[in-house]
Amino acid sequence: MKTVTVMVLAGALVGSIAFDAQAADTFKLAITGPFSGGSAPMGGSMRDGAKLAVAQINEQGGFEVGGHKMKVELIERDDEAKNERGALIAQELASLEGLSAVIGSVNTGVVLAGDKFLQEKKIVKIITPAAGSASMTQWVNPPAQDLYIFRFAAADGIQSAMVVEEAGRLKFTKVAVLHDATNYGVSGRDDLTRRILAEGKMTIVATDKFNIGDKDMSAQLLRAKAAGAEAVLIWGIGPELAAVANDMAKIGFKVPLIGGWTLSMSNFIDNAGKNGDGAMMPQTFIEEPVTKAATAFIESYHKAYGVSRIPSPVSAAQGYDSVLLLAAAVKQAGSTDSTKIRDALEDLREPVAGVIATWKKPYAKWDAAHPETHEAFRRENVIMGMINGGHVGFANPDDRARLGNR
Amino acid sequence: MQWMIIGQMAVSGAAMGFVYALVAYGFQMTYATSKSINFGQGELVMVSAFISLSVADMGLPYGVVVPVGLLSGALLGLFVERVAVRFALVQKTEGWILMTIIVGLFAVSAAENIWGKDERPFPTPISREALDIGGGISVTPVELSVALGVILVMVLVEIFRRWTLLGKAVDAVSADRDAAELMGISATNAIAISYALSGAVAALAGILVAPITSVGPTMASALILKAFSVAVVAGLQSGSGVALVGISLGVLESLASFYLGSGWRETPGLVLLILALALKPNGIFGTATIRKV
Repeated sequence: MKTVTVMVLAGALVGSIAFDAQAADTFKLAITGPFSGGSAPMGGSMRDGAKLAVAQINEQGGFEVGGHKMKVELIERDDEAKNERGALIAQELASLEGLSAVIGSVNTGVVLAGDKFLQEKKIVKIITPAAGSASMTQWVNPPAQDLYIFRFAAADGIQSAMVVEEAGRLKFTKVAVLHDATNYGVSGRDDLTRRILAEGKMTIVATDKFNIGDKDMSAQLLRAKAAGAEAVLIWGIGPELAAVANDMAKIGFKVPLIGGWTLSMSNFIDNAGKNGDGAMMPQTFIEEPVTKAATAFIESYHKAYGVSRIPSPVSAAQGYDSVLLLAAAVKQAGSTDSTKIRDALEDLREPVAGVIATWKKPYAKWDAAHPETHEAFRRENVIMGMINGGHVGFANPDDRARLGNR
Repeated sequence: MQWMIIGQMAVSGAAMGFVYALVAYGFQMTYATSKSINFGQGELVMVSAFISLSVADMGLPYGVVVPVGLLSGALLGLFVERVAVRFALVQKTEGWILMTIIVGLFAVSAAENIWGKDERPFPTPISREALDIGGGISVTPVELSVALGVILVMVLVEIFRRWTLLGKAVDAVSADRDAAELMGISATNAIAISYALSGAVAALAGILVAPITSVGPTMASALILKAFSVAVVAGLQSGSGVALVGISLGVLESLASFYLGSGWRETPGLVLLILALALKPNGIFGTATIRKV
């Protein structure tokens, strides 16, 4: 008797959920990322940027799909930058009724732990802002057919090439490579080394690592200084990057610090203070009103969240633009079916006017031999940023002018 | 060049060494009176640093931040003594080991919930600009302040113990608890005072080291193991020994991370600890105690 009741109840529950999914004209979208802990500036800004786009869409009653308006319904999950939490959340989302797409993830480890569940259940995921190469290359070998995972962030390959390019532009011939001991840091070191060897214009005079939580970097830096490094190329995250900048000042090692986009994390800028000034890193978005779209975005972000500085402008802008891309894909697909959205994303016919760029065919049909088919960012979408007085600005005035004319 | 590097590593290492010494000094204080140690000493360092940071965030000057920080450390020390140590001492058990660890774990959770998990910079009026002290070796005023602060507090505590009535009472309990009690000194109060002092010393360590390392819930977890090594190597009885051993450990660590690689940084402390336990179980500066049964 009891079992029967439970079954009836369960049936009613499933029925009502299915009914809801059909009845409501909504596009169900999940946002995941670290909203607490050390990576929270990136996760929180990404979420807030995405929510801004969703709020703007819903304010107008939704977006047009096949003759009627469709609203966006959001689900948020905090992965705390922990791989095992990320895996659990991905499993939960994969089995969620009516979910069409997921955006988010800051940490490459979380992506590696979770994305396979979404791919299995054929749910579209746009990775943003995690930049580690492995997030996409995991689908190359063994090659995945029909990939549902896209990335909307400047991949480490592009970033490391830019870092080396910048060091070359500044006419450095001897550089030191420093990195943290995580997957992210080690793969960053490999990207940098490969690039430097390929170009053949510079020599690496010192390569050294540090651990998460290390405070004293003077041994590594003194070695680099003694070897005569003219610049420090670095791959790590905020707190340790700040320790490096502070120790460079302490031992009087005054050379440029150039590294991955993590040098724009607010916990680097705050902890390094003025020792962080001059650090350079690839950015996809600079919190300066250079274009109309950027001005409007920055103003509405500040107003919506009551801040005068976006904790991670890159993450916020990428979160915002990725929602716009998804909305455009749903519109083109005329459906919230995940496979149809995937097909539409791979062949977006209408350009999407975002805050970072106007996206014209950002993705193409997945080809495991060319993982860049599911990468939106090309070299020209990324600019070099530089910290000046606690704010990330343009490193090269030309970039500012180029973007302003867009 | 080589000597310059060795000198620079030694100077940087010595600054951290002073902090190890100060935390180790806190261990010794409570061990002297009660033969117990607060295994949550590192959490006292961390919570006091967070409280000082909150006071500084309110816009109050450094001259207020430091006394408030020290006072909060002393109160936290009293709290630990009251909830984690006293019962165990009365029952003559080793329950304080687990209890102080538990209080420490609780403090980490509390800090994560109150102040968050992020590492935060600690404002200080002392300059971080490096000064050249000759031969290309540089030191920051913040590092100098650590050394001066540690020496100052050790001298002050020594004065307290030798020339004040309260201090003499604490010293008497350290020397012989039963005899002191027969002279009308309350051992319980003397132990409480030693815990308060130890807490204040931990708070000072937090305030001094925070500008160098930043403040976070796990800021003291690495610190505390090294301080413990220092206390054991120097001998849990010897006040002056900790300074010497602390500084040596700091310098050794720096040199190890330069010559052997940064991954080997922690080894000198562990090797020293093993050697001390094997060769001088009472510490280099400790004296063998005769346990009368």
